[in-house]
Amino acid sequence: MEPQVQPVALHEATRRRYLSYALSVITSRALPDLRDGLKPVQRRILYAMYHNLHLNPESRYRKSAAVIGEVMAKYHPHGDQSIYDAMVRMAQPFSLLHTLVDGQGNYGSLDGDPPAAMRYTEARLSKIAIELLSELKKQTVHYRPNYDGQFFEPVVLPARFPQLLINGTEGIAVGMATKIPPHNLREVIDACVLVIDDPEVSLKRLCGKVKGPDFPMGGRILTSKDDMRTLYETGGGPILIRGESETEKVGRKTFLILTSLPYGLNKAQLVESIGQLIRERKLPQLTDVRDESTDGIRVVCELRKPQDEAAALAYLYKHTKLQQRYHVNLTCLVPTDNPDVATPAKLDLKSILQTWLNYRFETVRKRFEFDLRKLRERIHLLEGFEKIFDCLDEAIALIRASEGKRDAAERLMDHFGLDDLQAEAILEIKLYKLAKLEILAIRKELSEKRAEAARIEAILASDAELWEVIRTELMELRKEYGVRRKTNIGEDESEVDITYSEDAYIVAEDAFVIATREGWIKRQSSFSNVDKIRIREGDAIGWIVKASTRSTVTFFTDKGIGYTMRVDDIPATTGYGEPVQRHYKFEAGERIVGILSHDPRNHPPAVPPTEGEAGLDEAAPYGAAVTKNGRGLRFSMKNFSEVSTKNGRKCVRLGDNMDGVVAVWMSDTTEYVGIASRKGHILSYPVTEIAVVRSAGKGFLAMKLNPDDEVLAFGLSKSIYEGPEVVTVQGRSETARFSKFKGRRGAKGALVMRRGFFAEWKQNPLFLLGQAEEE
Amino acid sequence: MAQSTRYDAKDITVLEGLEPVRARPGMYIGGTGKAGLHHLLWEIVDNSVDEALNGHASTITVTVHKNGKTASVKDNGRGIPVDTHPVHKKPALELILTTLHAGGKFDQKVYATSGGLHGVGSSVVNALSSSLTARIRRGGKEFEQDYRRGRAVSELRVNGQSRLTGTRITFTPDEDIFGPVQFDSEMVREALEVKSYLNKGMRIQFKDEASGNSYDYHHEGGLADFLVARLRKTERRNLCPESFIWEREFSGSMLRLQLALTWTDFPRESVTCYVNGIHTSDGGTHEQGFREAITRALRNFIETHNLTPRGVSLTADDIREGVFGMLSIFIREPQFQGQTKDKLNNPEVRSQVEGAVRPALEQWLHDHKSWGEMIVTRAVQAARARMASRAAANQVRRKSAVSHRLNLPGKLADCSSTDPSRSELFIVEGDSAGGSAKQGRDRTTQAILPLRGKVLNTEQASLAAVLKNQELSNIVQALGCGIGKDFNSSRLRYERVILLMDADVDGHHIATLLLTFFYRYMPQLIDDGHVFLAQPPLYRIDVGKETYWASDDTEKESILKRLPARYKPEISRFKGLGEMMPKTLYATTLDPRRRRLLKVEVPEDKTFITDQTINQLMGKDPQARFHMIMDGAQDVQELDI
Repeated sequence: MEPQVQPVALHEATRRRYLSYALSVITSRALPDLRDGLKPVQRRILYAMYHNLHLNPESRYRKSAAVIGEVMAKYHPHGDQSIYDAMVRMAQPFSLLHTLVDGQGNYGSLDGDPPAAMRYTEARLSKIAIELLSELKKQTVHYRPNYDGQFFEPVVLPARFPQLLINGTEGIAVGMATKIPPHNLREVIDACVLVIDDPEVSLKRLCGKVKGPDFPMGGRILTSKDDMRTLYETGGGPILIRGESETEKVGRKTFLILTSLPYGLNKAQLVESIGQLIRERKLPQLTDVRDESTDGIRVVCELRKPQDEAAALAYLYKHTKLQQRYHVNLTCLVPTDNPDVATPAKLDLKSILQTWLNYRFETVRKRFEFDLRKLRERIHLLEGFEKIFDCLDEAIALIRASEGKRDAAERLMDHFGLDDLQAEAILEIKLYKLAKLEILAIRKELSEKRAEAARIEAILASDAELWEVIRTELMELRKEYGVRRKTNIGEDESEVDITYSEDAYIVAEDAFVIATREGWIKRQSSFSNVDKIRIREGDAIGWIVKASTRSTVTFFTDKGIGYTMRVDDIPATTGYGEPVQRHYKFEAGERIVGILSHDPRNHPPAVPPTEGEAGLDEAAPYGAAVTKNGRGLRFSMKNFSEVSTKNGRKCVRLGDNMDGVVAVWMSDTTEYVGIASRKGHILSYPVTEIAVVRSAGKGFLAMKLNPDDEVLAFGLSKSIYEGPEVVTVQGRSETARFSKFKGRRGAKGALVMRRGFFAEWKQNPLFLLGQAEEE
Repeated sequence: MAQSTRYDAKDITVLEGLEPVRARPGMYIGGTGKAGLHHLLWEIVDNSVDEALNGHASTITVTVHKNGKTASVKDNGRGIPVDTHPVHKKPALELILTTLHAGGKFDQKVYATSGGLHGVGSSVVNALSSSLTARIRRGGKEFEQDYRRGRAVSELRVNGQSRLTGTRITFTPDEDIFGPVQFDSEMVREALEVKSYLNKGMRIQFKDEASGNSYDYHHEGGLADFLVARLRKTERRNLCPESFIWEREFSGSMLRLQLALTWTDFPRESVTCYVNGIHTSDGGTHEQGFREAITRALRNFIETHNLTPRGVSLTADDIREGVFGMLSIFIREPQFQGQTKDKLNNPEVRSQVEGAVRPALEQWLHDHKSWGEMIVTRAVQAARARMASRAAANQVRRKSAVSHRLNLPGKLADCSSTDPSRSELFIVEGDSAGGSAKQGRDRTTQAILPLRGKVLNTEQASLAAVLKNQELSNIVQALGCGIGKDFNSSRLRYERVILLMDADVDGHHIATLLLTFFYRYMPQLIDDGHVFLAQPPLYRIDVGKETYWASDDTEKESILKRLPARYKPEISRFKGLGEMMPKTLYATTLDPRRRRLLKVEVPEDKTFITDQTINQLMGKDPQARFHMIMDGAQDVQELDI
């Protein structure tokens, strides 16, 4: 082994490296500083534009590439693209409420179009950005060396307004993240003033000023006042925000116009998703959508009918990003005693304002101290001038007699009691200043400067005075930059009542619901002939019922379960349709044995409850079921009319594993039951003999069976001459009709066959239609 | 050409009757070995099976007599007709047994299906038997006739009255043709058992007189029973509670199709197919159709129920992995192909089988959705396993042969030495640093692999995602030693794997990501002491025209002390490897004599804390990471600004 190989434990090496990465990302990459609300990259861009390139609002624009190059070379040793992205965001009026960079050229759009490359675009500082930078000149902030020690950069900018809250920010660090929304400048400054006036001010009063975020894209915040206050109290929480709209009438058409959007939403994607909904016919209230935005936001949706507005909006709110949540997380870097170090913290609104104001206080104090220092230096010099000008000739003679500058200075100092600085300054005076008027000017200046120094000294001597200055300056900024709030707060009372109901988005259509014996379902608006309905080879049409797309149908299976589905959800197709199992959790081998339509138009007229049914809650029609074991029951169809879960609703409790429901039919109580057993018994009686049950049960004996026999067919008929038809292998057939097999419930029925058995029950799928069409 | 061998008309011989069979037995029964010998028995048995299939017989009894040379086959069918043929003026029985191409199976009126050799069957057997006796019960009488080597040696005689019907053929294969004759009773038994499964409801008895054993096979369930029996025998577990059993009669050229199908956990596909009761071991068009049907039915099922898996695409082989199926079809005119005639060649059968099986299987899946979902899950697992094993197979093996280098990642700048004990691999952050490392290295022993950006966090990713990741798979390929369970340290291509990262925090981050990867997927690499961290210098000291590099603060101080006082040294913090000239990089970081390395270890008493640290820092719990960062913030010295 080489001498210079040292062992290192994996966990130590990893931990040390990871922590330094994590801490760096937290403290100098992803999180903003509370004081100036900027991330390092943003601060460096602004500083380089101001200090190095002098790109003031009045100067000419310069190529973005020049800015990025300067920032990258001197302050930010990372990729150029990430720096450019950061600058672009600061220039986008839809990202920042008050843009810090004044961009020239394509800086991207709401539709997610990328900005032009940095070699095309140009930039300079915006007016408000100067408010972040101007006090740098007065030695108000701490500086540190840049990454290679060649230059210095400010640790934080002397922000004159609370930029953190006003423009907001977003960032993901390691182990933590931040998401601060933009706020209205007037409101935030008002809140600052409240804190200045009363440091103990309650959060409630602050929230009376800061009503919530103010997003550059407008919109409406639906979060309640209380929730908003909790959010500002805890430093985080969700905000519900939606885009706003209005209607316009042009000729006979009515348009729904979206005029604002939730923050950060890509408009082109929203329009695309609305278009998709219209194409898929999920939103019948709209017929077209187009983006007519130029300067502002104008997305035009064409309404089918003027009164559809509420329904269309409700759907858009629920199914598109027109309404969405914004999760606030007020995490930022908070200053510590060490000017180089800031630590991350999640703060409440008041702490943010308070901390910022304290910082402002320090900055303003330093500014005044700087001014005072400069004033005193000037006064000192002026005092020297004053002394000299009183006996000017003497001084001139002294200088003329001296041997060089140094000697002259010493003589002046000796003679007039001046110090080095004053003597030096006197020697630098230009000759024209010796004119008579100058002494007056100097005296005037001296008194002005003394007065100014006295004023500043007074301010510095009193915190209250200093706060008053801050207060005044803030109010000036408020006047200069304040704009009306763009985002509205709270529910809009004028808006139409918007409630979401799925039914509103179904196009009402009459349909035939078709199910095959093997369980394939579909709906068709019409068919010419049962034989023409397309089914899979070997399959057969089992049931056809009429229903509206707004109603439901229930599929009953041999396991005694009813699965209710909206007719609209059944595929409308002339193809095979789809297997019913696609929608429900069928057991292995579970099969459909009946379909009931809940469309009231398909129901027979209600028959008043007859004797034996009195006291029932629900009137006809009922569902009637009979099992293989010969048990039967009736139940109210109302129990099944609502859409069911994937597991369906139980309607019959089966006897054993071999048991199963034979069929389920709709009954208006006037029919006759026809039952045929496999071994050749047939029985018929009025359906009213089968009792109605309130909930799923085992039912009552419908036909008494021999031990090894089972029910093969069960049907209902209004005619005493009709009923289910059963056939033997040999082709002999029998109809279980009341006229021939009249009996009582629970009887064995008539034996029509001594040997052999019935092999098949011949069912006619149109039977269910017949029921309704007879009327 | 010799005059004695003239070739005239008199040299032409015409083989009469069954003589061609005896002259060229191979043409008819495939050979005169053991298979050919048993073929005789199957011809006779299949005749009886045909009789049973067409609903006329219920029981077939096969007997191998005590001498092992004689066998008899008896059925309770209609019996071979014995009345005189209107054209040939011979009893039909004799006609059938002594004439090629005589029989009732050409015309589909009498036999709908047949598995034999189209009428050559009985006569071929007769021709190749030293003795054959046919006993027919039919029309209230029992008839009998004897044959030798294809010729009748007796008239058709009436033995007496019988109320039964049926045929019994007793024959002894000719030793002149087959050599010593010996029936393999085990083989016979097994084949008969299979036949009993394929012909459900049929009773097949086998009497082995030599051993005295007798067997009685009768399966009402047919193929379904067969499937269950075979599953049990091979000890495979059925994935679903029940198998898909289906059969159907047709009216076209395919007459009947029976199948039994299920999925097992065994990672292979097993489909056994029969045509007209004959096992087709080489498959053929019916098997193709069957397999296509399985694939398509599953695909349709997946599509209908939106079960399409994310991240994997299912191939037909994935879907059919674990399939355990049996298919038996009966078709009118089977054409076989291949040396042993066990590959079906009828082209139309493929689409017929597919067209019939697919919708039925699809319906079965819909009817048993939960089972279908289990099958889909199994297929997805198969696909995942396939991808994983392909990724594993893609990994490079030992670099003993130069040709293996073709499999190395394109970005790798390998070293010229093929001796792993002398070779080193530098994993370098970024292409820009990779460039100077390539130029500055010692190309005989030092290889360079540049990475792009941040690698995947393997603590939070699945193995599949890890294997798919380009950067990580480049590392795996370059190392050549495999990953996870496939790790084999003898295949490692380099003695030292050195992580060479920029000295900034992003470099630190990449180093932790790579260490996590090695720790989780190649722990052996760390345990064996192959993983190192390079120590590039931290400071650059410029004095006049001279530049010095210091790898830490003490070195920096000592350099500063040595410097003449009149110069003001300019010290800068070193940022990226790309800042250095290749020569400098070699001198400071790569040169084995001058560089400093950290050897990564997991101390024995720190295994738990290592695991915990990695998990907390790189794992999925942000809370744990947050606390770790907060607790550790004080210890951090280096910070980026």
